[in-house]
Amino acid sequence: MAKYILKRVLMAVITLFVVICLTFFLMNAVPGSPWLSERSPSQATIDALNAKYGLDKPVIVQLGMYLNDLLHLDFRDSIKMQKDRPVLDIIANMFPISAKIGVISILWAILVGVPLGCLAAYRRGTWVDSLLRVISTVGISMPGFVVATLLLHTLTGGLPGVNLFPATFVASDWRSYVLPCLSLGFYPMCYLSRQTRTAMLDSISQEYIKTARAKGLKNGKIIFKHALRNALIPVITYLGPQIAFTLCGGFVVETVFTIPGLGRYFVQSITNRDYPLIMGTTIFLAAFIIIMNLVVDLLYKLVDPRINLSKGGD
Amino acid sequence: MADKKHKKVLGSLQPDVEDILSWNDLPANAFEPASTQEKAGFIQDRKSVSYWKDAWRRLRKNKVAMIALVIIILLALFAFVGPMIVPYSYDEVIPGANNIHPWHYTLEDQEKLSEAQMTPDEAVAAAEAEAAVEGRTLTSVEIATIRAKAKVNSSNTDVEALKQELGIKAKPFGYTNDELQRMADGEFVFPHVFGCDIQGRDIMVRTMVGARVSMIVGICCALIVLVIGALYGSISGYCGGKVDAVMQRIVEIIYTIPEVLVILLLGATLKPIFEEFQNSGDGPLQRLVTVLGPNLISIFIAFGMLYWVTMSRIIRGQILQLKQQEYVTAARALGAKGGRIISRHLLPNCVGQIVTTTFLQIPSAIFTESFLSFLGMGVSAPMTSLGSMCADALSGLTSYPYRLFIPAAILSVMILCLNLFGDGLRDALDPRLKK
Repeated sequence: MAKYILKRVLMAVITLFVVICLTFFLMNAVPGSPWLSERSPSQATIDALNAKYGLDKPVIVQLGMYLNDLLHLDFRDSIKMQKDRPVLDIIANMFPISAKIGVISILWAILVGVPLGCLAAYRRGTWVDSLLRVISTVGISMPGFVVATLLLHTLTGGLPGVNLFPATFVASDWRSYVLPCLSLGFYPMCYLSRQTRTAMLDSISQEYIKTARAKGLKNGKIIFKHALRNALIPVITYLGPQIAFTLCGGFVVETVFTIPGLGRYFVQSITNRDYPLIMGTTIFLAAFIIIMNLVVDLLYKLVDPRINLSKGGD
Repeated sequence: MADKKHKKVLGSLQPDVEDILSWNDLPANAFEPASTQEKAGFIQDRKSVSYWKDAWRRLRKNKVAMIALVIIILLALFAFVGPMIVPYSYDEVIPGANNIHPWHYTLEDQEKLSEAQMTPDEAVAAAEAEAAVEGRTLTSVEIATIRAKAKVNSSNTDVEALKQELGIKAKPFGYTNDELQRMADGEFVFPHVFGCDIQGRDIMVRTMVGARVSMIVGICCALIVLVIGALYGSISGYCGGKVDAVMQRIVEIIYTIPEVLVILLLGATLKPIFEEFQNSGDGPLQRLVTVLGPNLISIFIAFGMLYWVTMSRIIRGQILQLKQQEYVTAARALGAKGGRIISRHLLPNCVGQIVTTTFLQIPSAIFTESFLSFLGMGVSAPMTSLGSMCADALSGLTSYPYRLFIPAAILSVMILCLNLFGDGLRDALDPRLKK
């Protein structure tokens, strides 16, 4: 077990390193520079700025310097969007909003999606199942921005007489959170309910369910205690990276509802070529996702003790 | 020796030699050619069903999948044939067509409306001019009536109520006033079915072109994923051992890379590189880039580089199972090389899985492309895609909601139908159901 964990952690570190290098080269391969704006500065100014931030050196040298800084936990300062403010500080400022919306979204997605999946599996073949299947299939076919804009339009005054929620985001107003969370959690909810249904159908047809039924257990106990526990593996597999992703990157939802979160900032930092900020946010998001993947792999063992971790994934 | 006849122990499984010898007692006519009647008996009553025919038969029975297929074909016609029929192009700015709605009022109705909105003085002036043409002057009573009527009408600022009062109804399809005039002159003008956008570009054509972009992206990405995934997966699965271990570690690393992040970055990186390449000369490759557009190609590559992982895993799993089969051993014994075994024996035997996975890649690529375009990282102006149309519509959402809903609906229906058909395809091709 310990050997397995060590191996996985090593893998995670390598992955993170690959992501850092990849991002660094990609970012530097993008033509254009952070200094080009409406009033383009003179060549001398650009050279001076490049020299100041070390952008005049070869990419590989820059990468080495950056990695060295990273080892000292220095994420550098933003060079454009919020000039000279530490990247870590910016992330620390942006992340809570994204995380708040992400946590609520993923929570409602789990709390609704998993039971709906169970219900569909339990009532397989009835109209309940068909209805739920139609909803979830439509749900996973609608891109996030479609759901978000639809909600934005219909519930913030687009329909006559329906003006339930504010259209602009105010961090202190709880009503501002309803629509972003609804739209951010919709896709995972539908996906989860589909996954749960398939996995539940699989586990309901097993012998031990028959045994449980023969013992005279109540339906609820059979479904939630016996069947669901064995159906959780695919659900957890999906949830791990999804949680990380939802927590920090509601790219679309943050754009649609103009929420000052990390996802929106990441997209803006790319268009602005704010190199340290791109690197900082990418590393943060990537590390988060990689760690969640790791946690999921370790959770398998907890959920299903039959899984032999040391043998690897296959 | 005869008394030393082999005694068979009770329960022994040793075969009786006498018995075996008698197997060769063939009937006298054993080596005569079969009669035509006998031959006819060997011919099967029905034609043998090929794998694809069988799958197609099952697929045809699946109503949902067939409906989805019909809608996909209709959408494909809309996307590929549509732009040839409509006489406008996606970047053509039609004069005077800024922001026109997908409905119009006839010229007469517009005149009536503007007449009704005139101030008393304007109404009197207009009536006097009209009377002068007819060669008479207005009486003071007439002037007073007009003035009073106009006063009532102009105080009524609610245009909608006014329209209702005058019985003016909107007619479907958008036309500019210029086009209405030309129609009145007896010319045929192609309507702006979905209206025009803020710059006066026909929204229907843009939707068609956007849908075309989405479909091309989906299909090309699926093909790239198929090629890379099949190659990588089959080599990894077939070679096994150390090669497999190293290749699978690479897959694991790519698997954990947050894909959206890298696609966003890759898209932004590759686009200018291809633009530069496009302008660098006039070879066949450069022309190809021009035809597809640099941003589309960069999206293909970004997708292809990340999404082949799932495909390669599925194919590797299949190959691992299949390579233990006797026919592979037989092929190897006959001296077939690895490449031949993979391409002639292994891949054709997991074709069902490959087709299904490739097909389901199409909607997922469309999904991601629309997301990229919506964030402004996909295709760039003046080229359009359904995602970027939605993003453009966001600013005028309250006044022109249909500009968002039309591309959004087409996008969602497209992905939905592709998903449904892909599910049907999987059910039809899944060999486990074939028993």
